[in-house]
Amino acid sequence: MRHPTEGVLRRLVDEPAGVSDPDRSHVAGCATCLAGLESARADARAAAVAFDTGAPAVDVDAAWARFTAAVAVPVRPAPAPAPARRRTWVPALRRPAVAALGAVVVLSGAGVAAANDWLPVFRTEQVEAVALDSTDLVSLPDLSTFGELEVTGEVEPSEVSDAATAEERTGLTVPEVADLPVGVSGDPTHLVVEPVSAVFTFSAEEAARAAAASGEDLPVPPPGLDGSRVRLQAGPAVAAVWTQRSGLPVLAVGRAVAPTADSDGVPFETVRDYLLSLPGLSPEVADQLRAFSADEATLPLPVPADMVTTSTAEVDGEEATVLESRDGAMAGVVWVRDGVITGVAGAVSTDEVLAVARGLR
Amino acid sequence: MDLVQQRWTAPAVVPAPRAGVRERAGGIRPDLEEVFRTDYPRVVGVAARVLGSRDQAEDVAQEVFLAFGRSSVPVGEAAGWLTVAAAHTALNLLRSGRRRSAREDVVGRQQAAEAPDVADTVVVRAEHGRVRAALARLPRRQAVALVLRHSGLSYDEVAAALDLSPGSVGTTVRRAESRLREELDRDASSH
Repeated sequence: MRHPTEGVLRRLVDEPAGVSDPDRSHVAGCATCLAGLESARADARAAAVAFDTGAPAVDVDAAWARFTAAVAVPVRPAPAPAPARRRTWVPALRRPAVAALGAVVVLSGAGVAAANDWLPVFRTEQVEAVALDSTDLVSLPDLSTFGELEVTGEVEPSEVSDAATAEERTGLTVPEVADLPVGVSGDPTHLVVEPVSAVFTFSAEEAARAAAASGEDLPVPPPGLDGSRVRLQAGPAVAAVWTQRSGLPVLAVGRAVAPTADSDGVPFETVRDYLLSLPGLSPEVADQLRAFSADEATLPLPVPADMVTTSTAEVDGEEATVLESRDGAMAGVVWVRDGVITGVAGAVSTDEVLAVARGLR
Repeated sequence: MDLVQQRWTAPAVVPAPRAGVRERAGGIRPDLEEVFRTDYPRVVGVAARVLGSRDQAEDVAQEVFLAFGRSSVPVGEAAGWLTVAAAHTALNLLRSGRRRSAREDVVGRQQAAEAPDVADTVVVRAEHGRVRAALARLPRRQAVALVLRHSGLSYDEVAAALDLSPGSVGTTVRRAESRLREELDRDASSH
């Protein structure tokens, strides 16, 4: 019979009952499989040691007290009246579209829902939430699977006390909203992100390994690609974010220097298109990558068309892209002028978002 | 997986409450306390394996339960949902902290040279740092499968949680362990 897979050998290490009798008896009499089993056992042991946390004791009572204090809303057995329609965010613009929204205003699944490969765990209707995720104000695709990636600068946004400080830190004027939409009130939180750049050196060897991990062969790289470098730059960015009392962001206005890319060998577009063809590339990294262009006047907008409709409108003399979730619960508008992207988005209607955009000072 | 980030800042450890799933009309779900008390230790355990820090793991657990509290995940699926959420949230945090740990390694080595009596602790810390860095470099699905299996989930549970066939869980875990070991060996030889 054929040798059992490495997965079967691995299961023999710690859940042998899950392995079929024929497989077990084969392994017992097969030198090749026994060697594979020993190797699997050694790696599993090394991982177990690495993960040994000494079983941390937790104080559940204290944790619950902290949780209820943080939530700051009583646990209510009976549902309250349904909130206004606009209070529901849609999954429309998860991380892929973030790059889309040009690293300005980000409509993203919250941190815990961010991973695309995790989403199948949810039922579709349960992920019907999108929060403005400030960590995506500036985003760079993680290409470390395909070569060396050296990042300079800090992508993590930091909160600053006011618009003046934000301007001082970034050189970008924080757009000032003339009239807030109904239901949005209070003072915004100001966030800034410093400029960041990443130099990516493509490695055919690393890429081949990534492809193998997803069970496929590496497509033949274009000549000269191995070892060639591209530089991706993003930011700086500023944003003002209005938050509901529950902590959900409800409106955000932001501005950022449009992401750009250049290369020292093979043209960036060639590198990008090749990376986009690789089997190991996750959809979200692909979408982030598409946001980069060698031409800073262009801002590609990868938009999940099944969830979002797009149209154009004029804002401040520029053609702007309007994004609206198909259920009308969320809208955003983004435009570029002189290499600077400005965006407005929120759990508001298209009319409201355009009114805010056109009223920016 | 998603972003190349960034500076570690304290607020990033405890993000402002954000909805990961649809906010329920009635606020927090009524069965939350029971689920919290049952599953909290396990959720912390999963996050702690990723992060190597109980404090950070508890922060992750708080965030995960907040998302759960606003969700309508059936109570029967809560345990699986929570553990996967803990793994992903912790891995996201780990990614965001990668550069910080690189700095810590440098600082750690300097301290070791200056203060031999704490050298052992520093060595242990550096070892933990290597594990986390290696984990952060694994493909996300492998990392999650690895952490869940080493958190005590059965092959069937890992399969259900990650929407994998039970047969491929072993393969995914095996590859993750193999890569983890390669990464650790590589890191160890470069230190």
